[in-house]
Amino acid sequence: MKEMTYIRAIREALIEEMDKDEKVFMLGENIRGCAFEHTSGLVDKFGLDRILDTPLSETAIAGAGIGSAIMGYRPVVDFMFADFMYVASDEILLKAAQWRFMQGGKVQVPVVFLAAAGGYQMNANEHSRIQTALFLHHPGLKVVVPATPYDAKGLLKTAIQDNNPVVFLWHKMLMTDTGEVPEEEYSIPLGEADIKREGTDITVVANSYMTQLALQAAEELEGQVGVEVVDLRSLEPLDLGTVLKSLEKTERLVVVDEDTERCGFAGELCAQVIDQGFDLLDAPIKRVCARNYPIPGGYMEAHVLPNTEKIKAAIEEVVA
Amino acid sequence: MKFSNKDLLKLYTNLVRTRAYDELFTRRLAQGKLLGFYHASLGGEAPGVGGCSFLRKDDIIFPHHRGHGIPHMIGKGIDIKYFLAEHTGKVTGGCGGMSTFHCFDSENGLYGYSGLIGSGFPLSAGYGLAAKRNGREQVVVCFFGDGGSNRGTLHEAFLMASTWKLPITWVCENNGLSQFVPFEQTYPVDDIADLAQGYGMPGIVVDGQDVIAVAEAVTVAVDRARKGKGPSLIECKTSRFCPHFVSAPDMCGCEIRPEEEIAELKKRDPITVCRKTLMARKILTKKTIEKIDAEVAAELDAAEKFADEGPPPDPSTFDDLLYAN
Repeated sequence: MKEMTYIRAIREALIEEMDKDEKVFMLGENIRGCAFEHTSGLVDKFGLDRILDTPLSETAIAGAGIGSAIMGYRPVVDFMFADFMYVASDEILLKAAQWRFMQGGKVQVPVVFLAAAGGYQMNANEHSRIQTALFLHHPGLKVVVPATPYDAKGLLKTAIQDNNPVVFLWHKMLMTDTGEVPEEEYSIPLGEADIKREGTDITVVANSYMTQLALQAAEELEGQVGVEVVDLRSLEPLDLGTVLKSLEKTERLVVVDEDTERCGFAGELCAQVIDQGFDLLDAPIKRVCARNYPIPGGYMEAHVLPNTEKIKAAIEEVVA
Repeated sequence: MKFSNKDLLKLYTNLVRTRAYDELFTRRLAQGKLLGFYHASLGGEAPGVGGCSFLRKDDIIFPHHRGHGIPHMIGKGIDIKYFLAEHTGKVTGGCGGMSTFHCFDSENGLYGYSGLIGSGFPLSAGYGLAAKRNGREQVVVCFFGDGGSNRGTLHEAFLMASTWKLPITWVCENNGLSQFVPFEQTYPVDDIADLAQGYGMPGIVVDGQDVIAVAEAVTVAVDRARKGKGPSLIECKTSRFCPHFVSAPDMCGCEIRPEEEIAELKKRDPITVCRKTLMARKILTKKTIEKIDAEVAAELDAAEKFADEGPPPDPSTFDDLLYAN
């Protein structure tokens, strides 16, 4: 094992997969000059031909990724910020996501859409989204949201090898988090949740940066409430089984999700739990999500996004 | 560019086949046998037929929506029976009966179609990028209309294709109408081809009713792309003798297009234009015309039989279709 930052773990996954398969290449805005550290030095290692700086043209970047994926490549399309993916909505949501199904399964689109997501940096509504509900609402995409360096590397490797379009959202707040990453080759299957902390009183289901906030809340409630933190790691495929199994033990549930509460993933998870695990529940479920406002900039951001205090309050309310 | 007599006959035959299928699709829609809607290609067949008839099997096309890509598929050598089956909701269709009017034939370089006009640009840039990388000298030909040229996706893809010298030929089928809106109301200058200058690529205007002129222009552009010299833009001034979609009122702006106007347009019917040229050069005779017509009729009968006989798709396969293993 070695200590590594989350962003460096992402970089390692890119390097290993590009080393392994020459069909893998990257394209995006400012990836040679490296807007974020995960692409640092990649152009020196792989050359101008495999690390492509594009014009500032999101629809063409997405289209270029999708088109070349259809023709047999495994492009990693770097959008810099997840918010920029809105520009390429048709390409991502209607083409990459749905062409396989619409074409009777005769085509595959092995593209990874990689982007920095999430708020807490006072960058306002167009640099702060982790709009997972948008992607999940268009069946055909896989959605990966890692919370640790270990998960980020292992999941990205799998995402690049996957024969389907994968939206891989890494969280800006986790960028410099460090954690242990194996020296040897490993990967993590999509659709396997990870119990990041065991507890017997309540299950908190989270993903991405929310997992870290949930762990912090659990820590602060140590001795009062035994909190089990289930980190989903990917939202599609979704590991509902691990959630239900945890509920067999705890009988109580809080779902934490950074996306907007209304029509968000948390509501979807609650519905699935009620549908398949209603009898396991001993108390109403609580959601902690972004409130139903645009994500404001400046000091007002904190009034919209989830935080540890809100998670703790929800836990206390459900166990009361 | 000199085409052989055989090439010229191929162009004529493909035009006749396209027209016959167009009429068949229109008829079947009225009969309730064709699902969805249909945007006939009547009068605008030459750009697709001329632009695709001399491509390589592994060249990639992104069809325009008139005739739902039939002119392009016919040019490309794709058997239309699969598309008819698709439009009839059958699992034997190109998309396995999942897409109604979207065409697909990856064996022949057709990876799909878009219901959103102007979405072909970014995807074609992607095909072009892959073609450039794989070194197989494949070329992408992306067709779009005067309406499609209004999309911002055009700029993004043109920019990328020209900057990276991608092997793409952009073919505009300008029939003067975006659905019901006349070209003059949505475009500030006469020629879309003028755009080419801004991207440092060749741009030319051709007579889109003359299938030979289209084929010549596209062949030059495709050869250029194949040699690694990058994209070109060809604007075909074409026509439409029918409403935007079958059964719609034939509007231009707020007015129904007058019959005299359509009659005037029909004087330049691409089939008539081609037939005249070929007969004058004694390549086509009355006897050959009859023979072609008979062969086309037989082809259509077989296609209808194929489409009608196929079963619908099985909804229990949905999970397998959604994600690849």
